[in-house]
Amino acid sequence: MKNKIGLHTFMAVPAFALYAVFFIYPLVRGIGMSLTDWDGIGTAKFVGLKNFMDFFQDPRALSDIRTTVLFAIGSTLLLNMVGLAYACLMNKPFRGRSLAIVCVYMPAIISPLIMGYIWYLILQPGRGFLFHLVDNMGHPEWFGNWMGTYGTTLIVLILVNVWQYAGMTMVVYLAGLQGISKELYDAAEIDGAGGRQCFRYITMPLLKPSIRINIVTNIIGSLSVFDIVMSLTGGGPGYQTETLSIYIMRMCYGSKTGYSTAVAMIMFIIVLIPVAVSLKLMKKGDAE
Amino acid sequence: MKKISVIRRVLIFLICVMCLFPFLILLILSLNTPQRNFYEGNMFIPDFYFLNYAEGWEKSHIGRAMINSGIITILAVLLIVLLGAMAGYAVARYANKFNKMVFGIMLCCMMVPGIINTVPLYTLMIRINAVNTLWGMACVCAALALPQSVFIFSGFIRALPRDMEEAAVLDGCSYFQSFLKIVMPVLKPTISAVVVLNGFGIWNNYAQAVFFLQDTEKHNVPQALSVYFQQFAGAKWNLLAATAVIAIVPVVAAFLIFQKHLMRGLTEGALKG
Repeated sequence: MKNKIGLHTFMAVPAFALYAVFFIYPLVRGIGMSLTDWDGIGTAKFVGLKNFMDFFQDPRALSDIRTTVLFAIGSTLLLNMVGLAYACLMNKPFRGRSLAIVCVYMPAIISPLIMGYIWYLILQPGRGFLFHLVDNMGHPEWFGNWMGTYGTTLIVLILVNVWQYAGMTMVVYLAGLQGISKELYDAAEIDGAGGRQCFRYITMPLLKPSIRINIVTNIIGSLSVFDIVMSLTGGGPGYQTETLSIYIMRMCYGSKTGYSTAVAMIMFIIVLIPVAVSLKLMKKGDAE
Repeated sequence: MKKISVIRRVLIFLICVMCLFPFLILLILSLNTPQRNFYEGNMFIPDFYFLNYAEGWEKSHIGRAMINSGIITILAVLLIVLLGAMAGYAVARYANKFNKMVFGIMLCCMMVPGIINTVPLYTLMIRINAVNTLWGMACVCAALALPQSVFIFSGFIRALPRDMEEAAVLDGCSYFQSFLKIVMPVLKPTISAVVVLNGFGIWNNYAQAVFFLQDTEKHNVPQALSVYFQQFAGAKWNLLAATAVIAIVPVVAAFLIFQKHLMRGLTEGALKG
């Protein structure tokens, strides 16, 4: 082609400019900011790694890490199991299939904040719709005060999150399943393979790209969870179910700007490690 | 259509019910009178008290929030599609150092959740007077979605044959014209996929809106709702439910209209990844 270094070869410039200003610059700036005691208004003083040390001495921050990580593990595992189960159920064509997919996907398009409020109206202990339902049946004790303890609150958060986004993982798995040739299953059946063997030796290996994309997006998404916790528990009881992103927001509002960017850097590492590990593990699996 | 077993059919039906029942309960709650007591009568038959909707609409300023969300979504999606397609084209067609670097950086940053850089971004936004502006919020949302869009566009453009563009250039088109008139029309399905893939998330954005849209006049839908919910502290559930219904109706309508594109976009985006 003629005029190889014309202006048109730099059509990526506008996109890069926008990205540099609104993403890369703040990211780099954050590294410097995390080493200061800046309060958002006054002058910043360099404090070295003090913010990071403070973070690991704050019990609330450590509990936030635990909550975030537990939430992410639970959500990622359950989302993939449920999504894959749904996809296997709906893989074969049947009448009303696309309607069923729309129903299952529906929750995923609604703001997780609003979804959290809706579940709050349904699940609130002592007042919610479900409580009244079991109460009217004469068994109010069936519906305990799940908001009272850390464990049950976390489980409810995970379940609501899985309820909302199972449709999303399902659609990705469905796409993967549709890409597997039916002849493979026919051949395996002739060779005497049962349903379970087919799943283990044909479906799972060929589904690897879908598994990879789902696991990575679920890890990133659930480690940075914000909306649903804000609306369903607000981080309660106390600060027990507060997650790291809510902590960052609250610290920033509390004029601890430097400290909150340090927390963001720590969170960055917390996100990066599992993503890198899972990508690596899957690559290894491919080579076998 | 093939037959599937009864058990499977029942299971699928139950799953669908499970996915929709919170919406049903929300609808019931939204139609109850403020005095409604759940201990009397059938819980599943509401009072059909439609005034909740009028009051919720007025007090929550959800209408204004929808306009704000709409403007932000349209601006951001325009940026994502236009800049994403241009960058995707450059990356796919001209493998010079700059384009390779842009692609590499974006691919790496795709893994970084937005909340990580929100605080430093906030100080930047204050300095350029972009806090509490719709264009500022649109730029933030667009930047967050750009890497994925560049990735998808470059994937599709790579798969297109070059002949058409080259012929157009030989006939006297400029490269920009050939991009606009030859490449963009072919990309239509990809564009609609990118639009629906990002549109809902931008409309629903809360984590960034908390920082960048603090002014009540500029609240988007999730923020208007959260303020409204917090004001009532859970007292008037009929109003809360009615407002939530108002807030999700446009999203559900858009989803039902665009669901074919959405499914295709998701599957194509997923397979390319």
